[in-house]
Amino acid sequence: MNRKLLVLLLTLGMISAVSFSADAGSKRDGRPDGGTLSYGEYGRPATLDPVTSNEMISLRLTELIFNGLVGINEKQEIVPELAKSWKISDRGRTYTFFLRKNVTWHQKEGAGEAKLFTAGDVVFTHKIMMHPRTITPLKVRYEFIASVTKIDDYTVKFTLKRPILNALAKFSFKIIPSHGPSNRHFLTREDPFAQSPIGTGPYILKNVTADREIILVANDNYFKGRPHIDKFVAKPFADQNIMTQALMFNAIDMIVLVNPRDIPEIQGDKRYVLQPYNALSYSFFGYNMRNPLLRDKRVRKAFTYAVNRKEMLASFFNRQGTIISGPFAPGSWAYNLAVKPFRFNPEKAMALLKEAGFTKGSDGIMAKGGKKLSLTLKVPIEKESEAVKRVVLAFKNYLKNIGVAIKVEFKEWQSWKEDVFLEHDFDIIFASWVFDDSADISSLFHSAEIGSWKNNFGGYSNPKVDSLIVESKLTLDHEKRRTINRKLHALLADEAPYTFLWTLTNYAAYHKKIRHVAIHPYKYFSFADDWFIPSGSQK
Amino acid sequence: MKSYSQISGEIGEFSNLPFWKKADTVDLVYVSYGLLIVSLVILSYVLGMFNLMPHDPQALNLDLMMASPGTSGHLLGTDFLGRDMLSRLILGIQAYFLPGLLAIAISLSFGTVLGVLAGYRGGRFDTGITYFTNLVDSFPRLVLILLVIAAFKPDIYYIMIVVGLTNVPVVASLIKGKIHFLRQKNFIEAAVSLGLPTRTIILKHILWHNCRSLFIIQATLGMGEAILIETSLSYLGFGVQEPMPSWGNMVQSGANYFMQGKFWPSTAPALAILFTILGFHLLGDGLNNMLEGKRGR
Amino acid sequence: MRLSAVKPIALVMTREIVITTLLLLGVSFVVFVILYFSPGDPFSVLLQGQMASEEARMGAREALGVSPSWYTQYVSWLVNMFQGNFGTSIRTGLPVLGELIRTGINTLYLTVGSLLVTLAIAIPIALYSSVRGETVFTWPLTMFAYVISALPVFWLGYIFIYFFMHKFNVFPVFSGTGAKFSWLYSLLPIFVLGIGNGTTSEVIRYLRDEMGRVMSEDYIRTARAKGASVWKHSFKEGLLIPVTEMIAAKIPFILGGAVIVEQVFNWPGMGRMAWQAAQDRDFPVIMGIAILAAVFVRMGSMFQRVVYVVVNPRASQE
Repeated sequence: MNRKLLVLLLTLGMISAVSFSADAGSKRDGRPDGGTLSYGEYGRPATLDPVTSNEMISLRLTELIFNGLVGINEKQEIVPELAKSWKISDRGRTYTFFLRKNVTWHQKEGAGEAKLFTAGDVVFTHKIMMHPRTITPLKVRYEFIASVTKIDDYTVKFTLKRPILNALAKFSFKIIPSHGPSNRHFLTREDPFAQSPIGTGPYILKNVTADREIILVANDNYFKGRPHIDKFVAKPFADQNIMTQALMFNAIDMIVLVNPRDIPEIQGDKRYVLQPYNALSYSFFGYNMRNPLLRDKRVRKAFTYAVNRKEMLASFFNRQGTIISGPFAPGSWAYNLAVKPFRFNPEKAMALLKEAGFTKGSDGIMAKGGKKLSLTLKVPIEKESEAVKRVVLAFKNYLKNIGVAIKVEFKEWQSWKEDVFLEHDFDIIFASWVFDDSADISSLFHSAEIGSWKNNFGGYSNPKVDSLIVESKLTLDHEKRRTINRKLHALLADEAPYTFLWTLTNYAAYHKKIRHVAIHPYKYFSFADDWFIPSGSQK
Repeated sequence: MKSYSQISGEIGEFSNLPFWKKADTVDLVYVSYGLLIVSLVILSYVLGMFNLMPHDPQALNLDLMMASPGTSGHLLGTDFLGRDMLSRLILGIQAYFLPGLLAIAISLSFGTVLGVLAGYRGGRFDTGITYFTNLVDSFPRLVLILLVIAAFKPDIYYIMIVVGLTNVPVVASLIKGKIHFLRQKNFIEAAVSLGLPTRTIILKHILWHNCRSLFIIQATLGMGEAILIETSLSYLGFGVQEPMPSWGNMVQSGANYFMQGKFWPSTAPALAILFTILGFHLLGDGLNNMLEGKRGR
Repeated sequence: MRLSAVKPIALVMTREIVITTLLLLGVSFVVFVILYFSPGDPFSVLLQGQMASEEARMGAREALGVSPSWYTQYVSWLVNMFQGNFGTSIRTGLPVLGELIRTGINTLYLTVGSLLVTLAIAIPIALYSSVRGETVFTWPLTMFAYVISALPVFWLGYIFIYFFMHKFNVFPVFSGTGAKFSWLYSLLPIFVLGIGNGTTSEVIRYLRDEMGRVMSEDYIRTARAKGASVWKHSFKEGLLIPVTEMIAAKIPFILGGAVIVEQVFNWPGMGRMAWQAAQDRDFPVIMGIAILAAVFVRMGSMFQRVVYVVVNPRASQE
């Protein structure tokens, strides 16, 4: 369930600035330096620069190599990073950042003197990101910036098109050096920079081996102090069973995301730590409103009542997750805890179907006006996806019990995407959304988002929902937005355009020799410079 | 008609004894084992078709997942959704029986036509057909299957059509080789000089008398190959799709638990694959030896 | 070498090279057409994570300077290829040629190695049983070979890995642990593919039958009657040629098996790359791999033709 998620990177939330500073050199926190951490990834990163990369494996690596103007700490608070302080003026339309001095870019061996990070790099990064020929998921997220100006070498000013909520958090985008890319105007994946990035972060890309292992070494000049662990090695695997065994036999020290089926095995082993981290994502069954039978809210609700989510979570995922009731990821501030998920209740489901005018046919399938409730569920094929198989087949089974016939159709990923987002040829799909913070669900349920390759694939349209979404987007008050989103949550929970299932707890597994491990929900390595390995275990 | 009988027989010894009487004991053992397997396959096919299985192969039991063999009436245990393994093994043959036959039919029929054209007519036909068969041989087959699956849907019949087509060159080149061999032995010249019509020469004297053991071998190999290819595809996620069972997807889903020391769920279907393929191979081997009178020296 | 011996080989080689060129053209064309018409857009891999609209999709194509019609795309690909430029991967932006060479060598190593393993098992069994017939000694061997060639290759890989881990307490992956004998473990995938590629039984049978056929030929009988060495006379026809034929015929199968084995053993080869690229519809990579795979296959058959001509110079005039 971990590779083929529909990744939807939305806004990052929250909060206030805390001033803090540290000098380059050793961290002086009494923890030992040294050791190597090699971790397993399921698949290979496509690119290593923060602009063109668009999948989780690359994202995790760029987190080690680069920094943003602001960062986030373990308490999810915004902290200074490349900017040491900032000033917000013009009623939230101007952001002025005062940059840290003496930050140096990674130095390639044999290259001359290390270059200093300056305001020019910030302006350059923004320019290259927004260039029409640069293909990057960042572009849509930063269209709110009207202009960037360099005031002096260490001051840079952003002017916004309009004031927006939580804008500060958005300045966490990674800064790339103006001397990095060979093309100074736009960045493509063919640029050598995409495979040999230069950043300011705690780790320097050393090389990529013939086996496509990515070797990163500690940056001695890191402005927050040299990271403790000397070397990070990312090892790509093509088989999750083998990756888990590699951990069990010390060929690697860490797996960033453990397959649910392997959790019991690792749990039982004292040598390893299983660390949960909150993922802002959820799984769902999505309905196609173009099917007249599914346009009736009672039918969709009946399906939701018929599904025993608790049993599935317990049987398939060792209860490692939270059942959800609405369109926001739990963990996010917008989630409405007052709305409880529907309880498993097949009788109620049957009653709802009867109320909607369905009667049981001679073959045991519910029908209305000669139309049978016999639906196609389309699921993308994934290698090693037994969790997906389990959930969809259990769903089929639950619905059979209330007289609904589900035909499960597995499709190759790209043709599945065409069926769902282009042809809209499906009744139900099973998928997951991954959020970076779930506040903005406008693209999922707003009626303007119906169409080819748009996120409202089910064609859900409801004026009330539309107006709430717009209202929430326009407000600049955090509390007000929260109230609106709670209303939206309650409404969509009742409307059931999806059968919302659950957020699964992600688990990282690592050897217990690695200490002080804190994990960022989706960037993962944000705090890796503080991780360390006790001297005795460094080998 | 002495000369006629000489060419109607095979190259090699000719005797009036029925072939099983002059057969070697080993071959008889091979063939009987093979026939046993084939009848088991047909039996399971029929059982599956009429839903005569110890349990419902599609019935989930979330309280009894990955049960070991013998647990509460499940002779071979249950799979990752608590479904009965034995019933699914029986039903699993549905994935191979007809589709496998289809693949064999495609490769044999097209291969024969091309082989005869290339071998008998020769010349430009030969050049063209050789080019075509080389072309097919040069494709990365799994990539081809993936793209076909993407274009249509992951259906075992589509997979088997590709498998059948990609096996055409093998059959064609074998038939062509056989015809060349017969030509070298002046067999075809003799038949032509007797004034036999081309159709009779090809159908009866070449294909029936001289190529039937080749057909048997290719057919039995083809069945084994169909099963193994589906299994490989299942590993990649593109074999027969749930909820339909196939031995390949059963091995794959069971193998996810192999490293945790639960061998049984993948071993049972793997053994089914092993015994079946072995049966087909030995059947082919034995029949071949009997028909060609290879042994008993 | 005498000129008369070189000439037929040169002739065969030229012929094969011409055929190969034509074949590569054919392969590239067919693969391109299939790719073009299969659902999914190669550029969607770039847009993943932003759920791009139709306009963004067209924009991406424009930004990359991709021509809209498929035949101009094909022709420009072809022209570039003849200049030695295989393009760059859409997914990673790396030059395809470099990637092909890097992974191709690993796959070649795996393929040739497994062929040798297969032959090392098949030849002795075939020889012995064709000369002596089925005996108490050969029969179990034959059965063993038949059994292993009927096992699913990925499952066989799992068994070996499990066995190695729990018996020897080592983890066998190519990307080694840095341990002393890690190169030894890299022999494991070769061994697994060699016995588990599903062709061992076929190879045994073919070699045995061919050997048996040659042994019953008149000239061998004569030689045997004269008391000359049967082995010397039957070697070329009965062993050398059938073996090369089998090598040529089985390369495509083994390349297919490599797709699986490379994933199980984390082997950085072409099969694994092909699988990723096919899913991404990364057409420059797929085309490159198709070409290289075809070259491997043709190299096998060229090898067979050359051996055939060396053994039997008259054949080149056919």
